Amino acid sequence: MRLLKELFNRESEYLTRRHFLRQGSLGLGAAALAYLSGCNKHSSSLESSTEIEGFANLVPKAKRIIFLHMAGAPSQLELFDYKPLLHELDGKPCPESLLEGKRFAFITGVPEMLGPQFSFKQYGQSGSWVSERLPHFSEVVDDVLFMKSLHTEEFNHAPAQLFMHTGSPRLGRPSFGSWVNYGLGSENDNLPGFVVLVSGQSAPSGGKSLWGSGFLPSIYQGVEFRSQGDPVLYVSNPEGVPRNVRRVVTDAINQINETAYQEVGDPEILTRMAQYEMAFKMQMSVPQATDLTDEPDYIHQLYGTKPGKVSFSNNCLLARRLAERGVRFIQLYHRGWDSHGSNNFENLHGGFKERCMEIDQAMTALIRDLKQRGMLDDTLLVWGGEFGRTPMQENRQGSSNPFKGRDHHGNAFTMWMTGAGLKTGMTYGETDEIGYDGIRDRVHIHDLQATLLHQLGLDHEKLTYHFQGRDFRLTDVHGNVVHDILA
Amino acid sequence: MVIHWDKQRFWGLAIIIGLLYSCSYKQEVDFNTQVRPILNKKCMSCHGGVRQNGGLSFLFPEMALDTLDSGNFAIVPGSPKKSALIQRVNELDAELRMPPEGPGLSTDEIRVLSDWIEQGASWEEHWAYIPPDRQLEAPLVENIQNGNEIDAFVISKLDEYNLSPSPPADKHVLARRVSLDLTGLPPSDTLFDSFINDKSADAYEKLVDQLLVSDHFGERWASFWLDLARYADSQGYQKDNLRPTMWMYRDWVINAFNQDMPFDQFTIEQLAGDLIPGATEDQLLATAFHRNTMNNDEGGTDDEEFRVAAVLDRVNTTFEVWQGTTISCVQCHTHPYDPIKHQEYYGIYAYFNNTQDTDKTSDEPNALLLSQPQKSIKNNLEKRINSLKSDQDTLSFEYQQAVAKYLNIQPLKVPVMRELPADSSRKSHVFVRGNWLVHGEEVLPAVPDALNQSISSTPSDRLELANWLMNENNPLTARVMVNRFWEQLFGRGLVETLEDFGSQGAFSKHQQLLDWLAIQFMHGYDWKLKPLLRMIVLSATYQQSSAVTPELLELDPYNELLARGPRVRLSAEQIRDQALVVSGLFSPKMYGPSVMPPQPEGVWNVIRHRARWETPKNPEDQNRRALYTFWRRVSPYPSMITFDATSREFCVSRRIRTNTPLQAFVTLNDPVFFNAAKVLATSMLESSEDLENQIRFGFQKTLYRQPTAEELDTMSALFRQTVNLYREQPEEIMALTAGYPEPTAEIAATINMAVVLLNLDEVITKG
Repeated sequence: MRLLKELFNRESEYLTRRHFLRQGSLGLGAAALAYLSGCNKHSSSLESSTEIEGFANLVPKAKRIIFLHMAGAPSQLELFDYKPLLHELDGKPCPESLLEGKRFAFITGVPEMLGPQFSFKQYGQSGSWVSERLPHFSEVVDDVLFMKSLHTEEFNHAPAQLFMHTGSPRLGRPSFGSWVNYGLGSENDNLPGFVVLVSGQSAPSGGKSLWGSGFLPSIYQGVEFRSQGDPVLYVSNPEGVPRNVRRVVTDAINQINETAYQEVGDPEILTRMAQYEMAFKMQMSVPQATDLTDEPDYIHQLYGTKPGKVSFSNNCLLARRLAERGVRFIQLYHRGWDSHGSNNFENLHGGFKERCMEIDQAMTALIRDLKQRGMLDDTLLVWGGEFGRTPMQENRQGSSNPFKGRDHHGNAFTMWMTGAGLKTGMTYGETDEIGYDGIRDRVHIHDLQATLLHQLGLDHEKLTYHFQGRDFRLTDVHGNVVHDILA
Repeated sequence: MVIHWDKQRFWGLAIIIGLLYSCSYKQEVDFNTQVRPILNKKCMSCHGGVRQNGGLSFLFPEMALDTLDSGNFAIVPGSPKKSALIQRVNELDAELRMPPEGPGLSTDEIRVLSDWIEQGASWEEHWAYIPPDRQLEAPLVENIQNGNEIDAFVISKLDEYNLSPSPPADKHVLARRVSLDLTGLPPSDTLFDSFINDKSADAYEKLVDQLLVSDHFGERWASFWLDLARYADSQGYQKDNLRPTMWMYRDWVINAFNQDMPFDQFTIEQLAGDLIPGATEDQLLATAFHRNTMNNDEGGTDDEEFRVAAVLDRVNTTFEVWQGTTISCVQCHTHPYDPIKHQEYYGIYAYFNNTQDTDKTSDEPNALLLSQPQKSIKNNLEKRINSLKSDQDTLSFEYQQAVAKYLNIQPLKVPVMRELPADSSRKSHVFVRGNWLVHGEEVLPAVPDALNQSISSTPSDRLELANWLMNENNPLTARVMVNRFWEQLFGRGLVETLEDFGSQGAFSKHQQLLDWLAIQFMHGYDWKLKPLLRMIVLSATYQQSSAVTPELLELDPYNELLARGPRVRLSAEQIRDQALVVSGLFSPKMYGPSVMPPQPEGVWNVIRHRARWETPKNPEDQNRRALYTFWRRVSPYPSMITFDATSREFCVSRRIRTNTPLQAFVTLNDPVFFNAAKVLATSMLESSEDLENQIRFGFQKTLYRQPTAEELDTMSALFRQTVNLYREQPEEIMALTAGYPEPTAEIAATINMAVVLLNLDEVITKG
């Protein structure tokens, strides 16, 4: 009887990675570093990634993701989703049918329609529309895939960002990068598997929860590489502790820990010893990875980078360096896209134009650079905001805002992606004549997540973690892989 | 490597299953341990709470035994052959076989189901829904020395496995263990010395009793409770505005633990203090427990949506904390595994749906309350004014000043629970598929039937609900709580899943012990925590050495059987507090507004709301216990998060311990810890002229023991090496020892020895 109880007890524990990690440390007599030491490196090889039953169970195309999140939600109608009809409707009152039963973040009463604020042209063999705000990017349109009918239920920043990055609009769920590292393990043994880089006016609305590990063990949470001060908190030795001293200090700690292990036999001690070694390594690898000065001039020219500056460009270059070093999930946030028209910062002809200049060259350079290094073959690059913007000029309390601007809009927005088994030089999905709703091939955020996980070799329905009595997923109980965009 | 492990595991299981059935065939089948797990795993996803395909659900016996849509019966008690269940799992036609996807049931699983039906298909109530047996007695076990009833339970279990308990831990280990467990701090020198020098038989008992009356007791157990209460100093969500008075609630919790407030009172005051007739200010303050829910002040958000979110959180938190029942899934549909129906969730919701708060930035309703210091100032001023009055001195400057000060005392506004007046109460509805905008049938306050079988009365309001939770026949509350306390001491609950006592929760090796402890807590100690903890720490089980042999580790990796003492990494709070105590920096100041110890520049830049992190100048407020550190939900204190503290957005029962290189960075480089090392080094240098004695002093301070010869060698070698390294780099000496009267390589080397000490596994761990 008790054997049976034991059996079922173990059964109920099965497949929680935490137990797996702990258990892994036992038989080995060495550190349980399946994740951090990169000892499941082989899982990143493209041939096989089936070692954790139920997780990595598809043939992976991508080893890693670089996700460029434009926090605040850029207007698709000023960048990619060209709607000539809006020119004609400019200034006319919005038809009642679009407003009926609909709730906006700020718009009240009957707003006026707002025409495209910039001129558009078609580029490349694909003939993709791009506005004049992105001259660099317009040269590489054939290398990317546009998705024009993304949609989300959330129309406020923090919940929508959480939705994009955790699959839920509420706090407390693990983030995309945490799920990916939980499912695939790390690809390197001296850097975190999930790194976050932030630029622009302060941080994204969703805050650190956007890269939190939720109920997954904290080992999977994103590590923010800060642009100023220590890139990783406390990675630098205190003043007056040179590296050679730290070496002997680490050795002494581990020597005494080793004798403790001989005495008490707790495998956690071995893990701790390995972590001190790893920390020592990271003290070298983190500053090396983040030091942009060793890049040649032509690279700096390509990206428009200036070492030492806090900028989206620097973060793009850093993202490529981290990708080269085997970081699984590299999440960039660039803030300041919330173009309501309520002040000049939120003006399509003010702050929005500046944001475009900040990203145009750098994101184009990232595509080119990854491509020339052959890294697009196994890297997914994703660009987008948390939702889109309305075809109407925003009004508040019945009168139009002083500057040109649009309200939050979740019905339809554009993202672009490239790399790792995605079709390129094409546009997927279409919106109606004014860009209000998707009319063809609509893609929900959960579908996007399912598709990206699929490219990483993860079945979104099987990547689960048992918490509070149920199995949780990044895609909740939704999500369909968009097979049409896979090469 | 992983494949290997899986395969080994698989074959191990297969062999166990084989062995089992060869010995246990034809024995009585146990529903809870044998049948229910098969149904849960293989059948419930289509025939459970969410879906009832073919008209079949195994969740409720009446439904499982009822006619199917097809007119057949899934289960015909006594006749496996007539039971559609058995026919379908045996079916060879892939179209018809159940389960339709994945591998079918194993022959052994089918045999279990078939035997169970043959034996009458009796449906056993889930163990945790049957109240613990008050008559339960500890088993009779021979050869118990220095033990109590806990040990009788443990030893009789160990006997089943042919194991014996481990020897007692060394005295110094035990002193440190019990002190960290009861007060969250390592023992003071005085307390430790008197214990070590006390050769009497009850020396340990005396130590325990002194720790139990320490004021630090309340602080340590408040730390534990505040995770469940999801206490924070900010409102959460995008702006994460500050809640600058919430610490008043934290202080209430500290006091409650220090006074050993009985747990029933502790519960009732927090859940419904506002509804107690003639509620005192303190009882009102206690209700801030459920005002720790988040507020969303982002522009454009709907207050009603987030009011509802807060109410849902109160439901989930209440049932997780007191009932160990994971109920959040019932928000959208009937519980997939446990017998709790979708509409029953909203019966609970109705108890919480009538408070006045509506997601306002002001956190209204607030109670106007005086803090402890304000109260004492007020008292003093009153005395002063009265005495001046009686001296007919009312025109004096002194009198005027005292009156002005008196009038200037502004009470603090603390968010509390307040019920809406009856005439404006809200109606509660089922939210169809959990969508708060889609209302289903109206519901009245009610508790789930499955949890109400032994009480059978329906509480009418929040106060009665609190009483219902604390009813002696509530099958869960006492078990769930005792299990939580146990986990705090042993690092693992008797039921591992502290938050889930449902059928998906973990089985316990020591369920009888758990039940017995629950009965003791309720009836033996009248819900008082201190005597309960006292009994546990006085057990021989608790006092065992934590050393483990490879054989025992193989057999029982998580120490579920308790054949050894606990060995777990300290909590985030304990790690900070310990560094401050052993270095001598510790500030014992209690209570008051949360403080901001040193934190690197820029950590708070990530938040929209531009409140500033301002570290106080006085060491008294820089070096306080972690418990008093300002807790901002969107950006919690970095070293705490690194050591697995939670962001306090939601109730969290278990902090999952991780072991990462970022933790090494904290204890090696965080200025708080490095400063502690420097101060410790100074005391080492002052303790003696002799290197060996300095090392001995350092070990004694941090580990409460003398170093072994080997450790002395390691440390002396480190000292010599670092002295040489520093002599080669004199500028580093200057950088490290700036501010010392005479910087030397020896001082620099000693600081590094202190760093080693504060980073030893034995220091970071409770052994």
